[in-house]
Amino acid sequence: MDKNTQTEIFFGPNHPGVPGNYGINYQFEGDTVTSARANAGHLHRGFEKLMEERIWIKNTALVPRICVEEPDINEMVYAMGFEAIGEIEVPRRADYIRSIILELARIQGHIFSIGGNAAGIGQYTVMHWGTLTRDYLLDIFEEITGARVYHIYIRPGGVRQDIEAETFAKILDLMDELENERFPDLEKALFENPNAQKRWQGKAVITKEEAIEMGATGPVLRANGVPHDLRKMMPYAAYDDVEFEVPTGKNGDAWDRIKIARDDMLQSIKIIRQLINKIPDGPVQADLGNGLKYRIPKGDAYVKIESKRGEYGYYMVSDGSLKPYRVHVRGASTPLGLYGVREFLPGTRIADVPVWAKSLGICPPEFDR
Amino acid sequence: MRNEKDLLQLMNAHFNPLKLEIKREQNVSLEFEKEELIQALSFLKSHSYKHLSTISCVDWLEEGEFELVYHLFSYTDLINISLKTRIEREPGIFQTAKEIWPVAEFYERDIHDFFGVKFKGNDNLEELILENWQEIPPMRKDFDTRKFVNDKFEWRDYNGQKHTD
Repeated sequence: MDKNTQTEIFFGPNHPGVPGNYGINYQFEGDTVTSARANAGHLHRGFEKLMEERIWIKNTALVPRICVEEPDINEMVYAMGFEAIGEIEVPRRADYIRSIILELARIQGHIFSIGGNAAGIGQYTVMHWGTLTRDYLLDIFEEITGARVYHIYIRPGGVRQDIEAETFAKILDLMDELENERFPDLEKALFENPNAQKRWQGKAVITKEEAIEMGATGPVLRANGVPHDLRKMMPYAAYDDVEFEVPTGKNGDAWDRIKIARDDMLQSIKIIRQLINKIPDGPVQADLGNGLKYRIPKGDAYVKIESKRGEYGYYMVSDGSLKPYRVHVRGASTPLGLYGVREFLPGTRIADVPVWAKSLGICPPEFDR
Repeated sequence: MRNEKDLLQLMNAHFNPLKLEIKREQNVSLEFEKEELIQALSFLKSHSYKHLSTISCVDWLEEGEFELVYHLFSYTDLINISLKTRIEREPGIFQTAKEIWPVAEFYERDIHDFFGVKFKGNDNLEELILENWQEIPPMRKDFDTRKFVNDKFEWRDYNGQKHTD
């Protein structure tokens, strides 16, 4: 393209190259972005308002729908908010099960998004592998919870039902299979692929200072060598009982972020094995009385957990009635999807736009809510 | 590295908070007069509280007030602070925090969309999520979702069954 040609492109809201129903309006000079503006709102379903109209327990069926890629973090953070305001103690076995579920969810989310990233640079085989591998994890979820994508399993006071010993055995088998068969293939097809290295190394760089300034967390921050992970910094569920490392990168580029996703999955496998080995016996649900009449005292709490894309938080307010007074969702990718797009995309070439958008793990329903 | 008590002492020494509270481990909540809040934010930012998680708004209809809550986190103290302030519901104007955290511009636009709060100094308050919204801001407590839906959309009958609201 002639370098003096100016073009305006509406990218999305329906396009296989954008992460969900969300658009970005670009202006190009030649093939270089000169300005970018997030065009959000296409996915706004009024979750926060709906939550105010439903009793506490009903919302557990609503919240997972806020992020399709990682529904379980919503259930967890909602339950944690409820328990923080109500000062409810969760049985230890439930804590362990929650951590197992969250780590399984982390693996399925990462493998799915690594596939998405690969598709962004034309490696469609890896995308199909990612989707396939995710399906094995969804099978496990189906066995535990009865549902594949939205599980509605973690609920205030614990989890919905116990996990059988034979399911634990299946999870361990799957972890072995992932580690010994799926991931080595992925390594060869993607991480040793010169094409992928060339497309990702040194692209879409966000420095440590920039990340902290805008509130970006997770792989975006960790790609700069800082091991900031809420599982370590503010342990929740059973994370204080397990040993694991927080993977980091050093250049802050797309390559480092995607490698962190891969290393994160290996750590998750390690965590799941430890948890299953030492899970205590006992109940999985605290007695909170009639589910339709849950009530917690007046109060508020900001709770947050480490999703695969960073800090995921809820600010919850209770006025002592049967329904929440206010729930505010802080999505992990909100600062990147709205502010980051405008600040960091200019100067990028058109072919690198998918690298940028996908490697940051932008999930539009989090800021459309 | 400070603990929760050191932090409360530090804030007490420099400001006049209305309320200080250790919510639970690693979680602190502070309430300020609206005149003091922005100063407190920039003070905390220079004391390692560099991470702004988000800004929340709560509509307290009966008291006629909006509550703005700024959630900060420090990577050295590992403490989460919620800074709260209340502003009058009418006219609902507050100061922007965009000079301290540029990203706040978008959180403020979000609050402007859904609560109608205006932020002085943030001159880019155009619609972010909503489009051509004519009603009162939808997250306000006096916005009636059911009425809005009934006025705006038509109910459809399924298999001869009349819809009843």
